[in-house]
Amino acid sequence: MLEKATDRSYGMCVGKSCLLLQFTDKRFQPVHDLTIGVEFGARMITIDGKQIKLQIWDTVNIIEMSFNLCISYYRGAAGALLVYDITQRHTFNHLTSWLEDARQHSNSNMVIMLIGNKCDLFARREVQKEEGEAFAREHGLIFMETSAKTAANVEEAFINTAREIYGKIQEGVFDPTNEVNGIKIGPQHANPRTGERPSSSAEKGGCC
Amino acid sequence: MFGKIANNSADASSKLWKADHSLPGRPIFGAQHPPLSSKSNKSVFALLIYRKQQAFTEYMNNTVDAWAIDDDLESENEENDIDKEEPFISKQAVQEVAKRVIHEHKTRNESEKVTLEASSVRRPVASSSSSTACPGIGIRLGQHPSSKTMVPVRFTNQVRSTITTIPDIDSQKENKFKQIFEQSHVDLNELRKTSWNGIPKQFRAEAWKLLCGYLPAKVDRRDDTLKRKRDEYWSYVSQYYHTRSESVHQDTFRQIHIDIPRMNPLMPIFQQLVVQELFERILFIWAIRHPASGYVQGINDLVTPFFVVFLSEFIDNDVEIENFDIGSLPEEHLRIIEADSYWCTSSLLDGIQDNYTFAQPGIQYKVRTLEELIKRIDDPLYRHLKTQHIEFLQFAFRWMNNLLMRELPVRCTIRLWDTYHAEQDGFSHFHLYICAAFLVRFSKDLLREKDFQGLLLLLQNLPTHSWTSDDISILTAEAYQLKVMFANAPRHLS
Repeated sequence: MLEKATDRSYGMCVGKSCLLLQFTDKRFQPVHDLTIGVEFGARMITIDGKQIKLQIWDTVNIIEMSFNLCISYYRGAAGALLVYDITQRHTFNHLTSWLEDARQHSNSNMVIMLIGNKCDLFARREVQKEEGEAFAREHGLIFMETSAKTAANVEEAFINTAREIYGKIQEGVFDPTNEVNGIKIGPQHANPRTGERPSSSAEKGGCC
Repeated sequence: MFGKIANNSADASSKLWKADHSLPGRPIFGAQHPPLSSKSNKSVFALLIYRKQQAFTEYMNNTVDAWAIDDDLESENEENDIDKEEPFISKQAVQEVAKRVIHEHKTRNESEKVTLEASSVRRPVASSSSSTACPGIGIRLGQHPSSKTMVPVRFTNQVRSTITTIPDIDSQKENKFKQIFEQSHVDLNELRKTSWNGIPKQFRAEAWKLLCGYLPAKVDRRDDTLKRKRDEYWSYVSQYYHTRSESVHQDTFRQIHIDIPRMNPLMPIFQQLVVQELFERILFIWAIRHPASGYVQGINDLVTPFFVVFLSEFIDNDVEIENFDIGSLPEEHLRIIEADSYWCTSSLLDGIQDNYTFAQPGIQYKVRTLEELIKRIDDPLYRHLKTQHIEFLQFAFRWMNNLLMRELPVRCTIRLWDTYHAEQDGFSHFHLYICAAFLVRFSKDLLREKDFQGLLLLLQNLPTHSWTSDDISILTAEAYQLKVMFANAPRHLS
């Protein structure tokens, strides 16, 4: 962490909190006060007829985060959204170091989705869609461009991440009985007809 | 993970009580109760004082190179070294008074509610359930999205004037402040005692400046000192501010420049360019003069109460600060507000610097200590949080980093800071007891939440948007009880 601190990449308003607010509350707030520490959001979604509760951590700049806090939310995360701003090249340039951090502290099976946010601001675009796609391909990530403002692809980004996690559970990659993986099966009696009700906790990080 | 944290906390707490900052016998202000005199604990007390001084000396030696010496506010007020005769207060007496204050405020609160209904004053209604609260997004509760009427940042409690008995108490308090300020040499001990329970708006700016050690207690020294300090701040600005684009400082300035426009997004005054530039200068100058921590997100919030209180000196009582057009203020006044805000913020930050140095050790220590306190004073709540795998760091990090400012409306923060200024180590130490009392205040609501999600959503959106200064008075009295209980008998509950 000490080494990373010398390469400080700062909070850059890539829109992490706005993406979460759009997903959980379906609204956009153009100016959003700084996130301090971690903040939390949750929403129920349905995948293949199964009800899934997504629990999402909205984080500050990970490199700035104190070590304990960092560890306490990395653990038990089944997925992460790695967000950059297509109108700010430097937010894209920091992806590699963020990815290293995420992989170092988390479960190696954690699903990571790369998000190029603010795609409504195409006139100010600095990072081409193809560059995002290439980075994702190279590092084995899923990729989407979103707009928290217009809500374009916001649902899809979270739901696709959850779908990927759900797929891994079914393939047996994630053991849903072990909570360290960030997955918890709901009580059987809660919904006897649909059987198991995994509640997956997805973590949302940012590149800065 | 859980086990590890629990062990750390136990360890931290035992250290805390041994090296306790709130020493037994320290004069405690407030609760409208003058300290009683007793000599019995003198030798123990002297030893503790010695240890404390020794610890401080060691700390100072270790950090002396990290902090700009000339930033220290000059201790021109001899009274800052308060009470060399540290009297001892009987625990029982203190508890009784604290209980009386809590009862008194609660009763007043009830009577206000009745009056409110009768006079149909519009106020947002507190949401008792977290289900409608926005999901963990960092919107201040004073600006809760579901409240159609934004809570105005007012510093006079208009509601009080509707109750016939209350103005008497207020006018007594005002007279007391008048008496204190009429002296050619302000009695700072008296000012602390009187300020502990809240400062009337018209005296607040002066009282805060005195209690920060910024304004000299001797009236005849004030003009010279203020002029010198204000000139000094503006000389820093001319000396350093242009370096914000140089490579060594550009990251710091870029972060400040990104953060400031995002502050208090729902208050028009903070969207005005002149105000944003004022904050940027204060924070940049502070950051480069304090390289051990530099600028850390959250510090920006701590300037706000000073700015608002010092600005209110120049504004008519009936103007709402959050809508004030800063362009209507003469530039000279703005320069005074800026310099005064810089020095007072600087003084505050000096007391909590380890909150913002690398890895934020002060915050981690305080969060662990808060956890330990809750374990001792509200075990059912503690066990409930642990059973649901809630980590204190997940919600209390922000409480410490931003001194509860994200959890309270600005008007309540300002009232709380009256007490923090009046209390010894208010921002660094008493704040911990405030946080404990604050969490316990919502104990019943939290116990009703049966899962992790419900708990965390509530913890990150505690319903305080309709809180008034009376809620803070109760909170401070409750925190004071905790402080006394633990200061005098650290193992009392173990």
